[in-house]
Amino acid sequence: MNAGERLTDANFPAHPEKATLEGKNKFLGFWLFLGGETVLFATLFGTYLGLRNMHLDGPSGEELFSLPLVFLATMLLLTSSLTSVYAVLSLKQNKVRSLQGWFIVTLLLGLGFLGLEIYEFIHYVHEGHTFTSSAFGSSFYSLVGFHGAHVLFGILWIATLLGRNWNRGITLANAPKYYLFALYWHFVDVVWVFIFTVVYLMGKVG
Amino acid sequence: MANHQKNPETTVHRHEEIQRKLALKEERKHHNVSFVMMILLTIVAFFAIWSDKISDSFAVLFILTLAIVQVFFQLYVWMHLSHKGHDFPIWGMASGILVAAITVASLMGLIWTS
Repeated sequence: MNAGERLTDANFPAHPEKATLEGKNKFLGFWLFLGGETVLFATLFGTYLGLRNMHLDGPSGEELFSLPLVFLATMLLLTSSLTSVYAVLSLKQNKVRSLQGWFIVTLLLGLGFLGLEIYEFIHYVHEGHTFTSSAFGSSFYSLVGFHGAHVLFGILWIATLLGRNWNRGITLANAPKYYLFALYWHFVDVVWVFIFTVVYLMGKVG
Repeated sequence: MANHQKNPETTVHRHEEIQRKLALKEERKHHNVSFVMMILLTIVAFFAIWSDKISDSFAVLFILTLAIVQVFFQLYVWMHLSHKGHDFPIWGMASGILVAAITVASLMGLIWTS
């Protein structure tokens, strides 16, 4: 069977994301990548934790951070993680329109999160908290900005994936791609849970 | 004759289909429970800091524990690590998390002692 062929309910495999060798390889390789990403973010977290109190004469985290705004951003990202797992459930049932719908909701929630983050950063710059203002500033923008770049990348990724496969249904070639995007999105959410806790909540208690 | 041969096959097929649907229904339930739990944990962590009623050092330990619990919900329920055939990913992530913990500890140590 051709991997690009639209799957029907009759020939739909139990695990379409791992039904081909390519799919299996992508699955293993992607998890290895996520293990590496964990370490990469750890370097940024470690640096931030070491430098977070060195804010020179700029504002400290305690003065800057607005918890309600960040709490809203957290809720948006958590919900988008749920909608992407709903898309994976649709994938397993060969419901391509429902998959597309859930991924579009995920994409919109991601955009909302990014909008809040940009608003937040602009506000901070006006308060005198910039990338070059102090070691706290550099490590803060490296960590939170790098996570934001991951969200942006995810948005571009799912938009491209949906657009390219819009009329193709679910195939053995695109099922692993949808599945891996959902894994990536959950991972980005995991990192945010730690940013919310370590940067924002811990920033409030000094 | 053809009908007689066809019947048991369709029954088996239908049986498998029902089992699969039940499994998916169960999975959806797990995802929903996991979502509610993560929202609750986030709200608890938020109020632990916001209310200012808990001592700072205890609050930090408390919210870090809540974050780690959330990560397990994400990894095992939403990223399906609890499903079959995930031995390699579990090893990959476990070693990633181990190296990550050492990295955070050593970077913080380096900066504090310098």
